[in-house]
Amino acid sequence: MRQVGIEVPKVDVLEKALGEAKYGADLPTGELLFLKVLRSPKPHAKIVRIEMDEALRVPGVEKIFIAKDIPGKNLVGTITKDQPILASDRVRYIGDPVALVVANGEEFAEQATKKLRVIYEDLPAVFQPEEALQPYAPLIHDKGNLLLEFHVIKGDSPRGFKEADVIVEETYTTTWVDHAYLEPDAGISYLDEQGRITVVCPTQNVHYDQKEVASVLSLPLDQVRIIQSVTGGGFGGRLDITVQCLLALAVFHLKRPVKIIYSREEVFQITSKRHPLKIRYKSGAKRDGTLSAVEVDILGDTGAYASYGSTVAIRSAVHATGPYQVPNVKVRSRMVYTNNSWSGAMRGFGVPQMAFAHESQMDLLAQALNMDPIEIRLKNCLRVGSETATGQTLMASVGIGETLNKVKEWRERGFFSKNNPKRPFIKKGIGIGSMWYGVGNTGIANPSTAQVEVDPNGEIRLFTGVADIGQGSDTILLQIASETIGVSLKDFRLIRADTAITTDAGATSASRQTYISGNAILNAIKNLKEVAIGEASQLLSIDEKDLFYEEGKVKSRTCLTTSIPIKEIAKRCGRVIRGEGYFDPETTRLDPETGQGAPYATYAFATHLAEVEVDLETGKVRVNRMVASHDVGKAIHPKNVMGQIMGGVAMGTGFALMEEFIPGKTTSFVNYLIPTSKDVPEVIPIVVEEKEPTGPFGAKGVGEPALIPSAPAILNAIADAIGERIYHLPANLERVLEAIHKSKQR
Amino acid sequence: MIPPFEYKIPKTIEEACDLLWQAEGKSKIIAGGTDLVIGLRNGDQSPQVIIDITRIEELRKIGEMNGVLSIGAAITHSELASSSWVKKYGKVLSDAASEIGSPQVRNLGTIGGNIINASPAADTIPPLMVLNAMGRVVSKEGERQVPLYQLFKGPYETNLKPYELLTQVIFLKLPSDMRSSFVRLARREAMAIARMSVAVVFQIERGKIEDIRIAVGSVTPTPQRMLEAETFLKGKPLDEASFQKASHKVSEKMISQSGIRPTTSYKKPVVEALFIRAMRKALEEQA
Ligand SMILES: Cc1cc2nc3c(=O)[nH]c(=O)nc-3n(C[C@H](O)[C@H](O)[C@H](O)COP(=O)(O)OP(=O)(O)OC[C@H]3O[C@@H](n4cnc5c(N)ncnc54)[C@H](O)[C@@H]3O)c2cc1C
Repeated sequence: MRQVGIEVPKVDVLEKALGEAKYGADLPTGELLFLKVLRSPKPHAKIVRIEMDEALRVPGVEKIFIAKDIPGKNLVGTITKDQPILASDRVRYIGDPVALVVANGEEFAEQATKKLRVIYEDLPAVFQPEEALQPYAPLIHDKGNLLLEFHVIKGDSPRGFKEADVIVEETYTTTWVDHAYLEPDAGISYLDEQGRITVVCPTQNVHYDQKEVASVLSLPLDQVRIIQSVTGGGFGGRLDITVQCLLALAVFHLKRPVKIIYSREEVFQITSKRHPLKIRYKSGAKRDGTLSAVEVDILGDTGAYASYGSTVAIRSAVHATGPYQVPNVKVRSRMVYTNNSWSGAMRGFGVPQMAFAHESQMDLLAQALNMDPIEIRLKNCLRVGSETATGQTLMASVGIGETLNKVKEWRERGFFSKNNPKRPFIKKGIGIGSMWYGVGNTGIANPSTAQVEVDPNGEIRLFTGVADIGQGSDTILLQIASETIGVSLKDFRLIRADTAITTDAGATSASRQTYISGNAILNAIKNLKEVAIGEASQLLSIDEKDLFYEEGKVKSRTCLTTSIPIKEIAKRCGRVIRGEGYFDPETTRLDPETGQGAPYATYAFATHLAEVEVDLETGKVRVNRMVASHDVGKAIHPKNVMGQIMGGVAMGTGFALMEEFIPGKTTSFVNYLIPTSKDVPEVIPIVVEEKEPTGPFGAKGVGEPALIPSAPAILNAIADAIGERIYHLPANLERVLEAIHKSKQR
Repeated sequence: MIPPFEYKIPKTIEEACDLLWQAEGKSKIIAGGTDLVIGLRNGDQSPQVIIDITRIEELRKIGEMNGVLSIGAAITHSELASSSWVKKYGKVLSDAASEIGSPQVRNLGTIGGNIINASPAADTIPPLMVLNAMGRVVSKEGERQVPLYQLFKGPYETNLKPYELLTQVIFLKLPSDMRSSFVRLARREAMAIARMSVAVVFQIERGKIEDIRIAVGSVTPTPQRMLEAETFLKGKPLDEASFQKASHKVSEKMISQSGIRPTTSYKKPVVEALFIRAMRKALEEQA
């Protein structure tokens, strides 16, 4: 029974297509109280006083909570706990939550919010990371404005540059980007039948949410239950706490069911953003194109709170070289607090920003050396046996070369169109972007767990804490389980992402769930098979070592006709048989001084080739097509992999050309433009399968890799078209036209 | 949350005028609602009465009489874009309508709403200006006809009194030998407000430009005719040099209206290029 590598219907697709799926805002209403948050209009201020008399007089208002109503620790954060649920003494960015209104109906909650008066005393604010590092800069947190400084040092970079025949050095900047997930954050909370505070909402990690809610309310973990509702996208934006603690706080005090729905404007204002990075990048290469050294300096803006700031600082440093062998590397990466909107996890954790820089550098080197952009990459790309910048030797599954070869075939086939002499103001160009991406968290334990059980009634249950946020993990994990147990997918029931009945699988992030939770499920099934063999041995009176498991049955090695299906075993035992699984990828901690170590068990690789056309008179760029070649190890569900690639290209097109969140200015989709169906290029997805020996059926991951090479490919294609490079994202009308004018002045 | 309001659906212009008069300035007309509802939602507008004009037969008609084309104020952009009359007698307008927003927005949004909302970026206004369109405005006080350019006071501001209703837009049918075109630039391919737009109408007589009208959108406080460029081009040959010089008159006028801003370094060359492109497009399309 083959289930892996084929295109089974996604298990959630029917419910979504029929409109039956219940997203956060669709959750049952009934007798619910409604929550609304009052937020800071100031980037940095002391809260002198909150006057709530008038607001409390609004009919229907039940209660107004402020910081002092929080019974536990009023600070959350995935790594550094520095973000209050309700600001206590001061606010640090425009949007910081100050008070929570609970009312009998949304309109009352909203009215009361407007009647609340907060007396602020302005504090000096700082908006530029460079300024925030100055000795007299206002402190955003007491411990100082530098969240983290991290280095990756290998070889001897000054010597590497001495050996170089060409050196290119440039500075690249990127800006805030919103996840733009379709579903605004929303959710409900109530006391379940066991009296536990239960929160149902879209999220990427129920077990993290549970810990934070318990800590905020000072409750034992088992008194808090988080259930993931159907989730309309995440892209990292739902790795942090959104509505969970606010909902739980209200239920904690009022013991009544409550609901919250963020407006689109709120989602824009207060959820995390992609970190703006400033990247100074120096590369050296020998005459034949071989890289001899890179030096990279990264300065990131984490905004008011840490969130995933340190993760991004570290991951961008670790990935700074791109998928290339570089003998001499020196990277410094710093992440800094400011009074801007807070940055957090967003599809790629800093790697998309880095890829923009390292891929621009590769093209600049190719240009300086008069080399073909694909050839210079092929010359330098990682292979089996290569050593990365952190000193890790790659043992298997290094498909970067193959992804390059695949796009080269398309280029050589003359796939790309020529300039049209009738439209002299439109110039076409093509560009390459490559990337690598370490699957899972960086140099730290990030285990997953799973259980599989067979019921005496024949039901097979797969328990996983993994949150499917639309990317398809429900289907993929079931495919893996179904194929490994040898029982049809239809016989399975999936129980997922509910802290009361599933165990910790870690976050749906870092492209880790297929690889890590897939492996946890394989281990659970291995365990289940052992249990089944043990039980069968009793039932059949055959020694365990004469039994083996195959295609859903325990079979005898000696007698070909003796076998017993796994469902039959559970039935005959009269009880549930169960397997437990655990998996933590093999990594080593990175050296705190030099960043050396093996931070990931495996890496995904990809190359995109973009064709763009640039309007030389207006700066308008159109991406015509994108050949997107991805080494995913093994495509468990090929269509789903292609879906991820298509979505990644769409998002990458936005990142390259138009997406820009401006704190305090951008309000909604009115002024935050993402590509429409008419802006997205034709995508030719190519799946490369360099099997990962430790992956489930050889699989790695594709979620974030899908996005990463698009923007670099587009930017390189623009440079190819106009003969001048753009160093700041997004490449909007104004920046492109400016570059065109510069190229004419040459 | 939108505060409560009364919703009225008059069937005739008279009835609408009565309702508007009675509301004493506390009403708002709704057609497609694609601008108004945004104002209601963000609190900019809080009328006590909303008067839906989309069931008034007369506002839903496109008519042709004595060389004049008249378009009901509640005609949608989709209808404008597909009307054979508009395509024949005012293609510059149907072209513009077909590029607005997205199919959903074009199916709801109306020409009347586009005009009265008076956005500097309203896509139908530059074409209507080069068509020398007039608005027919009706109220309890009577009827008046106003040249479109006289309607606008500033960005999002018109001279309409709160009890007045725009019923029709009228213009002389564009003779078939006149050339016209509309060009538009936006930050993405759909659902994006114009960064800049240019509409032109002109006639060629013995190789020379006659009777030219030029209007720009999005770069001045309200869409505007570019009279200096028009005067300059009259009697000039159809060559690159004339277009170039005229394009400078366009950008000079833009700067005199909007002042020098950080965005001027972008807008100046681009409005010039778009103007020249509009001229070329008009020549190519009907050549
Ligand atoms: C997503 C989106 C995209 C858009 N894209 C574009 C675009 O590309 N180009 C563009 O130009 N516009 C665009 N718009 C704006 C809008 O759709 C247009 O301006 C549309 O023509 C407005 O018409 P309406 O019928 O919806 O107006 P309404 O919202 O119904 O009314 C707008 C205003 O005009 C008044 N009004 C309406 N009709 C009359 C009348 N007959 N007499 C007197 N007053 C009247 C109303 O009281 C109100 O103040 C977009 C809007 C949205 C939401």
